Amino acid sequence: MKVYQSAIVGGGPAGMMAAITLAKHDVKSVILDENENIGGQLVKQTHKFFGDHAHYASTRGFEIAQKLESEILKNEKIKVENNATVIGIYPNNTIVYVKDGKEHKIQAKKLLIATGAMEKQLPFVNSDLPGVYGAGAVQTLMNEYGIMPGKRFLIVGSGNIGLILAYQLIQAGVEVRAIVEALGRIGGYEVHANKIKRLGVPILLNHTVVKAIGDESVKGAVIAKVDDKFRTIAGTQREVVVDTIAISVGLTPLTELAEQAGCEVKFIPELGGYVPIRNERMKTTNEDVFIAGDLSSIEEATTAMIEGKIAALEMAREINNIDVEDEINDELKTLALFRSGPKSVKIRTGLEKMGIKTPIIAKPVINEEKKDIVGKLRAVLECDEEIPCNSCEASCPFGAIHIGENLNSTPVLDATKCTGCATCVNACPGLAIFVMKEDVKEGMVTLGIPYELLPLPQKGQKMWGLGKEGNYVCDVTVEKIVKYPNKTNIVYARLPIEFKDSVRHFAFPKKESPIVCRCEEVSLERIEKVIDEGVTDFEELKRLTRVTMGPCGGKNCKLVVLGILSRKTGIPISELSHGTSRPPVKPVEFSVFEKGGDER
Amino acid sequence: MITNASVVIIGGGIIGTSIAFNLAKLGVKDVAVFEKSYISSGSTGRCGGGIRQQWTSPMNVRLAMRSVELFKRFKEDVGMDIEYYQGGYLLLAYSEEEMADFEKNVEMQKKEGLDVELITPRQIHLKFPFMNLEGVIGGTWCPSDGHANPQIANIAYAMAIKKMGIDLNTHTKVEGIDVQNGNIVGVQTTKGYVKTGVVINAAGGFSHEVGKMVGIDIPTHSERHQILVTEGINHVLDPMVISFKKNYYVRQTMHGSFVMGQSDKNPALGNDLGHTVEFLEEMAPKMVHDFPFMNHLHIVRQWSGAYNVSPDAQPIIDEANDVSRFIFAVGFSGHGFMLAPAVGEAVAEMVVYGTSKTMDVSNLKMNRFKRQINKEKNVV
Repeated sequence: MKVYQSAIVGGGPAGMMAAITLAKHDVKSVILDENENIGGQLVKQTHKFFGDHAHYASTRGFEIAQKLESEILKNEKIKVENNATVIGIYPNNTIVYVKDGKEHKIQAKKLLIATGAMEKQLPFVNSDLPGVYGAGAVQTLMNEYGIMPGKRFLIVGSGNIGLILAYQLIQAGVEVRAIVEALGRIGGYEVHANKIKRLGVPILLNHTVVKAIGDESVKGAVIAKVDDKFRTIAGTQREVVVDTIAISVGLTPLTELAEQAGCEVKFIPELGGYVPIRNERMKTTNEDVFIAGDLSSIEEATTAMIEGKIAALEMAREINNIDVEDEINDELKTLALFRSGPKSVKIRTGLEKMGIKTPIIAKPVINEEKKDIVGKLRAVLECDEEIPCNSCEASCPFGAIHIGENLNSTPVLDATKCTGCATCVNACPGLAIFVMKEDVKEGMVTLGIPYELLPLPQKGQKMWGLGKEGNYVCDVTVEKIVKYPNKTNIVYARLPIEFKDSVRHFAFPKKESPIVCRCEEVSLERIEKVIDEGVTDFEELKRLTRVTMGPCGGKNCKLVVLGILSRKTGIPISELSHGTSRPPVKPVEFSVFEKGGDER
Repeated sequence: MITNASVVIIGGGIIGTSIAFNLAKLGVKDVAVFEKSYISSGSTGRCGGGIRQQWTSPMNVRLAMRSVELFKRFKEDVGMDIEYYQGGYLLLAYSEEEMADFEKNVEMQKKEGLDVELITPRQIHLKFPFMNLEGVIGGTWCPSDGHANPQIANIAYAMAIKKMGIDLNTHTKVEGIDVQNGNIVGVQTTKGYVKTGVVINAAGGFSHEVGKMVGIDIPTHSERHQILVTEGINHVLDPMVISFKKNYYVRQTMHGSFVMGQSDKNPALGNDLGHTVEFLEEMAPKMVHDFPFMNHLHIVRQWSGAYNVSPDAQPIIDEANDVSRFIFAVGFSGHGFMLAPAVGEAVAEMVVYGTSKTMDVSNLKMNRFKRQINKEKNVV
């Protein structure tokens, strides 16, 4: 039986990074991976990664996998066994795997198990119908094999995976009808959510799927509101016409091999369910067995890689009896920094239950806003959530963006230093940076937005400017398109200055007229028709078409309507009457006034 | 804006535009209409939109019945769908005394030819099972009553008269009426002077002020009435429902929202168009009591409008004695919208023929207050 210094089960980001680190410290290893290529989940990730610039931030997932794989394949200290399915771990660190239809056995002094996780299931009526997929399965079909499993999707779960899947589906030209989220808030990063909201995908909070409709395959879904205990609220059921339901309600660690290797596990929901007990340096209750990545806690690729490194360093120290204390401490610090933001509170709580304290090295700070310079071509940062990422700061050639020591802090722009070069727009994985330059005299603005869809628009083309929720705001004229090798191109378009803060996406005009007032379902066409008939007073236009008269009271569309009126009449918005605001500012139920005031 | 008009109408509300529409139909098209704000900015655009024929005064019944005839052909005549719907009016009675009044009214209304009847709580329950009729001992029911969208109706008239060649000026305020030797010779507006021999006061909430411009003391005053609208839901409620006792009216619009209001105990006088939270606090419990399904219905907006009130809560349609050709159609006391088609017709005829022809409105003259005041009771 072949005996290795170390063996790694699972060639995902944690396993790959561990192999490279081991080799650096003169430890030979074998990676056993059941897929055709190593890379794990990275190979199907077409989006740019968040994180520290030193850890592949701004690089697309599959490109990270390619980089690490090529490094591994040319390293003679690492052996890669692809298509190798580990079926059991037996006494004396004996690993049995099947490859080419035959049993293979190896032994190793030290073992790293990095088997990752699998998708959680969600029980609902007809959840066994063809057309119900795990989100990961859809990504595999779409991004690895170029197969599209459906044309119209409902996504269940608004964690980063659900949000990213929605974005990738739209890039592939597929319609995403909605994302339902049982919780009262979006699970994933705000910037990921914003990306798809402005493409017009609604995220329905406090909603779940209760039934798939169809006999042979999915023809639709019944969704419903849920209360705070996730119980369906009667009477809120409604049908959506979809042919595919993608479930992304979380991941759970694949602990089987670790358990067979004698690692004790503990149920810690914050980390994803049953997880092997391990120390800060990734060693389990079995002296020879280490873990890293999603198996140790459901997190993401960057932390998986750091954990892989930490595990490998500790393994190398034990095998070769070398001093790597400084390196380990550096990595522990990096990991702690990553986890110091508010989005990592679950991980920190989970680790504490295992007796591992995450030191807060530096608290993320809300950096103080700097003075804006209207009329100068400059970046606009719309990244207000504390997430571990500093790709903008690192990419800026002029030092105009500041984040600071803790990469969870939010970035601020120094407009005096910014040249409007848009390098940060291209680098930002959240597509949360734009560039703009106002032409105050003309009442127009040039807005540059990151654009990752095909086909690209043409210079001079008329497009629709869409708002932050995918709503029509105004017409725009494309001024230029700048292509970048990383495929995050930038489209610049000109639009009325009033909409500089509301337009965040450009879309090709559709035949069907866009809905301007969504409460009352009033289309652009209808508004324009009534104006053409001679109704040029906003107040009269409103009463005839019902625009702005719905439950939102015009908060969403009033400026858009005024913009249309201004465009058609040539009267600047500032000179148009804009109606009177009346209570209640938000719709309230009659029951609110049941007792009839405080004196009774 | 024209500089010479055979008629000037002050007020672009439903009364002013209806008069202009009827003048144009009679061939008088060199008419200037002045509206100080936008179309439907005044009482018309703020009203509940009911179209009712069940009144205690025979004159009001007749005017309303003529209006219903005209509302029925409004779409063909004026050219726009104004969401007119004859879903009926249900008036609720809570005491023997109130019921006795209702019986008298129905007798009179039937004499005028109205399709009205007394209705029992059981019959109401069968028609509208979702209502809580606690305390109700009966009511009256007129199926040809109904409602429409007053804002659209006003704009429909406005667009029609513009097409017919009438000079409609919005955002134009009348600053004075030029009278020489007891004759009107012109009108000064914020946009210029127009020569004319005939002025019609259709100024709604500002009728008294416009009367003063020619030295006539019209006995009208304005008071604030509050109103609210809810989110839209599926159609459930056909009629306008009124309870004088509980002090409310409510209807469901064709859009699905519910529009409702009441009379404040001490209504603010004048044209103050603010609103109070007490209005919501008073409306909510009684509406939820009588219409329990409204408990979780959302209130979307509240506002108010002026009732231009006359001493007997009936309109004043008259021509001045001391000033030649100063005509007024004012003091509608909260029901101008529903009477507008018939009033427009009558006033246009007064201008052209000297007296109204289609129906006799002579007992709506101002001198009636010198005799005695018979107050219209059916007002919320």
